[in-house]
Amino acid sequence: MPLTLYVAAPSALHRLHPVTKLGLLAAFVVAAFMVDRPLLLVPLAAAIVVLLAVAGALSNVRRLRVMFLLVFSFTLVVWTFFYQSMLVPTYAGFLYGLSTAIRLATFLATGILFLSTTRVEEVAYGLGRLGLPYTIGFTLTLSFRLVPVFFDAALSVVQAQRCRGLEFGRGGLVARLRRFVPIIVPVLIGALRRADRMAMALELRGFNSGRPRTTYLRARAGRADVLAGTLAAATAATYVVLWAAGIGTLAAHP
Amino acid sequence: MIGAVSAVTVRDLGCTYAGATRPALDGVTCDVPAGALAVVMGATGAGKSTLARCLTRLVPCFLPADLRGEVRLLGQSIEGARVGALAGTIGMVFQDFEAQLFSTDVTQEIVFGLEHTGVAPGLMPERVARALAAVGLAGFEGRDPTTLSGGEKQRLAIAGLLALRPPIMVLDEPTTDLDPTGRAEVFDVLGRLRADGLSLVLIEHDTAAAAGADLLLLLRDGRIVANGPPAALLADVEGCLAAGVRPLDVCRVFAALGLAEPPLDVATAAERLRARGLLPVVPDEPAPPSAGPAVIIEIRGLGHCYPDGRRALADVSLAIGRGEFIALVGPNGSGKTTLAKHLNGLLAPTEGRVTLEGRDVAGLPLETLAQRVGYVFQDPDHQLFAATVAEEVAFGPRNLGLPAAEVEARVLEALAAVELHEHDADPFLLDKGARQRLAVATILALRPDVLVLDEPTTGLDFREQERMLALLDRLHAAGRTIIIITHTPWVIAEHARRVVLLQGGRLRYDGPLRPFLADERLAAEAAFRPPEVTRLGRLLGCTPLSVAELVAWIGRGA
Repeated sequence: MPLTLYVAAPSALHRLHPVTKLGLLAAFVVAAFMVDRPLLLVPLAAAIVVLLAVAGALSNVRRLRVMFLLVFSFTLVVWTFFYQSMLVPTYAGFLYGLSTAIRLATFLATGILFLSTTRVEEVAYGLGRLGLPYTIGFTLTLSFRLVPVFFDAALSVVQAQRCRGLEFGRGGLVARLRRFVPIIVPVLIGALRRADRMAMALELRGFNSGRPRTTYLRARAGRADVLAGTLAAATAATYVVLWAAGIGTLAAHP
Repeated sequence: MIGAVSAVTVRDLGCTYAGATRPALDGVTCDVPAGALAVVMGATGAGKSTLARCLTRLVPCFLPADLRGEVRLLGQSIEGARVGALAGTIGMVFQDFEAQLFSTDVTQEIVFGLEHTGVAPGLMPERVARALAAVGLAGFEGRDPTTLSGGEKQRLAIAGLLALRPPIMVLDEPTTDLDPTGRAEVFDVLGRLRADGLSLVLIEHDTAAAAGADLLLLLRDGRIVANGPPAALLADVEGCLAAGVRPLDVCRVFAALGLAEPPLDVATAAERLRARGLLPVVPDEPAPPSAGPAVIIEIRGLGHCYPDGRRALADVSLAIGRGEFIALVGPNGSGKTTLAKHLNGLLAPTEGRVTLEGRDVAGLPLETLAQRVGYVFQDPDHQLFAATVAEEVAFGPRNLGLPAAEVEARVLEALAAVELHEHDADPFLLDKGARQRLAVATILALRPDVLVLDEPTTGLDFREQERMLALLDRLHAAGRTIIIITHTPWVIAEHARRVVLLQGGRLRYDGPLRPFLADERLAAEAAFRPPEVTRLGRLLGCTPLSVAELVAWIGRGA
């Protein structure tokens, strides 16, 4: 299964400059951090849902619905029961839990929106344009490529060891931990061997050729970027103002 | 077109890896003319990969070694060059296609090398389009490589190199991990590259690939033992065997009949045999025993859907008898491995059921199943973890909670069965064939009645393949039920007795071997090519399973 969430669609969001999209991501995260009142968080969440629909990326939310459900309900329950005192549900706790849950879900959805509309290579490119060294962006790309390969290998190892009678569920903690050795050793050694081959394959493709590097991706910022950037900045600014005015905080906040 | 200028010139090349006592290459001298296809063959450890790595400077840049002699590419010495600096001169493809892809997008994958060699962005779209077209992947732009088949991934890796326009390409076992369809795809690409005038150096275990080459190099213990046109070299059956190379069936038939200058293709061979009146006479086959063996595993209406909704198996029913030797065949993605993993409970049926001696496998605990149905995974490196060979084998019996004396007895028994005598050796330092046999021993130590092996001969050289198959034959003779998943036609023909063919998750054929090999339409549908000797026999009106059989039948006619 591919790890990337990228949805190849011709939406306006897809066409934005990667740096603009990084800016949008930052603006939403900042805005969601500024306020605690659920009523003020809902518009942010709603905006993301609309953008997800525009980008044709709602399927990714469906794909990860279990994660949303878990994060949301866990946060809500924990804050409700532990906000002011242990194990006693409080209304203040419920409110705070609700806002945190909406905030986390918004973060998650914003992240999904970003990755659904931006190729990993574009993320690396955008980060590069913002001054991040190439190697960091490249490592990011490579890890997205490698994680599914790594997981496939790990799954094979687990199955192979189960065929030799390895059972995970039994015994005390030490015994359980020891049972991971037969999994971890083959997975790690396999990964190291592959990393060796990969290093060779990289150089064979001209990595370290000694010639200056060029870039294929060539995003140009257009009017849409100016518009999106302005909207993002305005949103973030509005929420900062709400926070500064003390409007965003919950009344019951200690 | 084969030109006068050599693409590759190797003079007295010697290579001793750092820390090694024996040279990996010694006094190697050869030339690959421009535009030629040179195939390099030899046993594991003969120096094939080392030679390839010396041509691309991976040795000594990545693998420190003491080098002697000289390598020239297109007349230019490569001494002191960096690997990356040779990127536009020589490309190299490995067996492990996953290790050669670095991007999450096909276009980005091709562009990678262009960016790193400073190609102007304006030229890139055309280069990408040409490279993808050359490997038959036009229209794959924007796809995530994770979603591609093995053959497609390997072709993408080749395209990534082609975009750099190297006149020379080295391929180190590019099809070993592919199914017949993937192999055919890659060989098709190689044919096109050859027609375009690229010079190709191909390392291969399959002798059939050498038959069409311009040049064949046989390596043995780091030295070139034969170098010349394939027809002459392959006719020397003894020479091939001595170098650890599987001789062509046709050459073996001609050698056994005392005929000189064997042709390399089946059709010509059949004509020549017919012209000499050497026609096979098939004896009556003894009628199969009326009652089959007692059923040990029964599969009824088995279906499997993966959690992502992909259907892998539908309505498969078959009964496996005690002591059978079954080949489970079919293209990649046909459901072979999915089916096999139901036999020992690694996967649970989503429809239907699997029973072991009448008991539902789904209800049996893992340790019970592990002692009844052993499963050997394709890649031994997916399970080896212990410090010594003996410890590795002891792991399974210990998991069963057996007493120390019993564990020890089973370790000795299992290692004796697979002929591994270095009990204190480090599993990771064994060669591939020994690691594969060790993997079998780890399962044998559980004393299963049924042994399922997923591609047990893949990636092994001919001698190691023969050794693994001899082991399976011994286990079979001792009463074990053997089920192998394999793509190798001669392995199926010479060892299995029954064939189960899956196609698109459905049972396409289940029955004795010979009718399966005789059914050309079925074979074509399943992208399966019967072994060379069988195809030769078909042209002469019979369906032999091995060279020995065809030769004996021709002997009856003489």
